[in-house]
Amino acid sequence: MRRGLILLGALLALAACQQTPAPRQALFVVLPGDDGHIGAITVNDGKREILLDRPYAASESRGGVTAPVQTSEVEVRQVFGAALAARPILPVHFRLYFQTGSDRLTPESDAAYRAVFDDIRRRPVYQVEVVGHTDTTGVAARNQDLSQQRAASMRDRLVRDGIAAGAITTAGRGELDQAVPTARGVDEPRNRRVEVTVR
Amino acid sequence: MHKFVWAGVATLALAGLAGPAMAAGAVIGQVKTVAGQAFVLRDGGRVAARPGDAVQEKDVLETGADGAIGVTFIDNSVFSSGPNSQVSLEEFSFDSSNFKGAMTSEVRRGTLTVVSGDIARSTPGSMKVKTPTAIMGVRGTTFAVQVKP
Repeated sequence: MRRGLILLGALLALAACQQTPAPRQALFVVLPGDDGHIGAITVNDGKREILLDRPYAASESRGGVTAPVQTSEVEVRQVFGAALAARPILPVHFRLYFQTGSDRLTPESDAAYRAVFDDIRRRPVYQVEVVGHTDTTGVAARNQDLSQQRAASMRDRLVRDGIAAGAITTAGRGELDQAVPTARGVDEPRNRRVEVTVR
Repeated sequence: MHKFVWAGVATLALAGLAGPAMAAGAVIGQVKTVAGQAFVLRDGGRVAARPGDAVQEKDVLETGADGAIGVTFIDNSVFSSGPNSQVSLEEFSFDSSNFKGAMTSEVRRGTLTVVSGDIARSTPGSMKVKTPTAIMGVRGTTFAVQVKP
């Protein structure tokens, strides 16, 4: 047993002597996205640019040189476990729709409101952005007002339900940002909406 | 409560007298998670970070040997760092009406994991993460960087 350990130690020392790689200065890794969307990064050390575009594709810097390197889920967990554990709950985006010319939600969106509320409440600290929109029927100036009313009615409901008013910002974009681009004067239900970002 | 606010005002006034005026930096994000020792460095000061704290352009996020911190930015980018880290938020601009902007941060040491947001999606090439040995260009979305001291 002891002789085995000595032999192993000697082999390791020999391997270290033969390779003596410069210590790692930096590690860059693409991680799998939560939504299955695969990302990509480039790493440029001034001499060349490396594209990393698969989960766990990685490069490292040693002795000032950056080159591709193998990594694994296990190594990522070791190196980045604490950082990943501190990752905030990711932002979530909602769309709720309104009745024509009104700041009243459609019945479907009235039911979907609960999901917005629940998502806010699961966060220890939160910020909520509400941006109102209209379709292109009616007068543009009136639509600007209506879009602000839609955002305000959403904010008021959240505040009534206990969400902190100071954490909510509202804006109205009138008919400027259509979800479904239309000509003027088109009654498009998908444009009568608020976009809610919870983070 | 009032006393507390006035103490804060007095402290700010003193800070203003003692050194350069505190930059009225725009808020670019919010501290969401804190574990162990975690700080925000701003204008030469160093304040213990708490969930809910505002984060400004040019702030530096720092963690101690047992520390970790998570921040969500107004473009919905998400950063988090583990122990012994220092991450500088050098440059940040974002227009929420068209989602365009630019973000450059620098990992001086430690670990940073990122889920990129609207800036990287709407403005290709506009999100960068610098390290002492290389610069990363972010096409999206989820990645990690470690810089050894």
